[in-house]
Amino acid sequence: MSGNVKASSLRGILAGRNAHIWRLVLVMVGWMAFMALTKYEKFYTLINFQTMASQFPEFGLMALGVMLCMITGGIDLSPVGVANLTAILMAFLLKALVGPEGGLPGYAIPLVFLLGALTGCLLGALNGLLVSKVRIPPILATLGMSELLAGVAIVLTNGNAVSKLPVDYALTINSRIGGLIPVQLVIFSVMAMLIWFLLSRTTYGTKIYLLGTNARAAQYSGLNNGRLLVKTYMLSGACAALGGLIMLANYNSARANYGGVYVLQCVLIVVLGGVSPTGGRGRISGVVLAIFLLRMLETGINRFPQISSYYISLIWGGVLLLVMVLDYLTNRGTRPGHGKSKAPGASAA
Amino acid sequence: MKRTLSLVLCALLLVSLLGTSLAEKKDWEIVVVPKDASNPWFVHMKTGVDEYAQKHGVNAYQKGTAEIDATLQAQLIADLIAQGVDAICVVPVNPESLEPVLKQAMDAGIVVIAHEGATLTNVHYDIEAFSNEQYGAFIMDNLAEAMGEEGLYTTMVAHVTNASHNEWADGGVAHQKAVYPKMTLLEAEPRVESEDNGDVAYNKAKELFKKYPDLKGIMGTSSYDAPGIARAIEELGLVGKVFTSGTGLPLANKAILESGIVKSLTLWDSALAGQAMVSLALKVLNGEEITAPVDLGVDGYMALTFKPGSDKVLEGQGWVVINKENVDSFGF
Repeated sequence: MSGNVKASSLRGILAGRNAHIWRLVLVMVGWMAFMALTKYEKFYTLINFQTMASQFPEFGLMALGVMLCMITGGIDLSPVGVANLTAILMAFLLKALVGPEGGLPGYAIPLVFLLGALTGCLLGALNGLLVSKVRIPPILATLGMSELLAGVAIVLTNGNAVSKLPVDYALTINSRIGGLIPVQLVIFSVMAMLIWFLLSRTTYGTKIYLLGTNARAAQYSGLNNGRLLVKTYMLSGACAALGGLIMLANYNSARANYGGVYVLQCVLIVVLGGVSPTGGRGRISGVVLAIFLLRMLETGINRFPQISSYYISLIWGGVLLLVMVLDYLTNRGTRPGHGKSKAPGASAA
Repeated sequence: MKRTLSLVLCALLLVSLLGTSLAEKKDWEIVVVPKDASNPWFVHMKTGVDEYAQKHGVNAYQKGTAEIDATLQAQLIADLIAQGVDAICVVPVNPESLEPVLKQAMDAGIVVIAHEGATLTNVHYDIEAFSNEQYGAFIMDNLAEAMGEEGLYTTMVAHVTNASHNEWADGGVAHQKAVYPKMTLLEAEPRVESEDNGDVAYNKAKELFKKYPDLKGIMGTSSYDAPGIARAIEELGLVGKVFTSGTGLPLANKAILESGIVKSLTLWDSALAGQAMVSLALKVLNGEEITAPVDLGVDGYMALTFKPGSDKVLEGQGWVVINKENVDSFGF
């Protein structure tokens, strides 16, 4: 595709196969340069980057799940519901596992992660069944699921926070490996690598791109669309559940209404990351970049006492539109039509 | 070329959008983190903080999240810690979720002051506008004044299980017994529930006034009580014969205050609470010893005392009265 453009020219880079990624990098570098010029000594510190790396995994994981669903042409609006319910259930489990001296047995944390991920898979599978078997449009199925899960979470907790958890759990997840790398970042990276592998190195990846591009064609090609959808929503549920387990550690408590803003934020991240809202197109690298970009924007803005937080939405929306406009400007000259011209699956990485 | 140019222009636009940074560090940097930035209650708090900063030449400012969200608030505080501010004053959305991040702040040597977060453990101090008992007494003073210090009254709470409302009501009744001997509590129904709902308060009040023709006053606690009771008073044509007072927000109750159905409502002032937090943070930063009574130099916070049994929770006398003269001065 980029063969007819000189790869060395800026225009070529911005319009090539990696076009969207490069545009995100450009915006990010611009922002980082701006922060360097204005707040260098407050932004470029080790602790600041460590803080950001411990902040984004919780919603970053949810966004990865939403990305998978959007690639199939659907959407998942239930990640926060799944995350909170998982966190609440695991909080009860942690409280039950705590020893007489207030310590946790060694198997507790792996067990919590295993059961938490399973809970997420189960709830995700329900989403998948609603979408594939009952044929409810994904936006409604997952929205309904989100409300249902929030309701269950409120009933379980009477709307209160589940707190006074054993400190070991929060301390472990909040620690830094070698004093440098936050554990939350490691969890996020492992999951991101796994999803990257699934999308680009397995037939599952190729199949969901095909499913998202044209569900009917996928079906006639012999794909089992129903099973693919259930698998995808399960994976999304697992991502959300892991996000919930990180929230459980970051706030050392669980509550039905934590992270309410994350739902729309995840959808924005995924679209900004270059995933086509109609499905079939999108890459994990773009989404991961969008996650970084969002966190840097928000943290950067928090460095300016005189800028109200209202501007975060304003700038976030502005960046989304800016990237779209750049998309349009750079695509116009180099492509005859600027629709979905990429072959599905060809751009998985 | 055109396209490269437009890219550069877009980048410039982004940069100039934010303007340049003008903040310069004066001695201490004190940040007030409210529940959110757009709620009028906290907008009013911001005016108080800004005023204090200007008057005392302190680098204190308020920074809130765009929406009320416990997780966003924790992240904002984490950012402030990374930035190395000197003091964080916070009104927690949800105390439990802030404990880990406030612990990080304290570990980093940052002074942490809370308001309306009496259950927090990872703070230097928590400021409460008042003790529940004394606030109840203050509501009773307002009700007694309206009733001419005599007659039969009862109390209304959101739910009899609500701790603070019942402490206010208990405080009010105790104060009446000590100071207003001509007033008597309706023993048959000493405490009724409004369920935090204006309509329920209205119906309950109507029922009470019909059932007990001698009833001359109802002490409200929840912010729905007095306005609901006022509607009943107006509808039954009892204006000037029966009275109510209690917690209420100014603008929402402008009409009943100006028409004289209700003479006064009670509240605490978020602007003053914000100033009190900054003032206390300064004291702690300057290494002053905090011993009761603490004088923060802010109206209603001139003689804070520790809540019995606590060495962190400080209680002031920060109640304010709202009447038709000052109802417009709050902005919420």
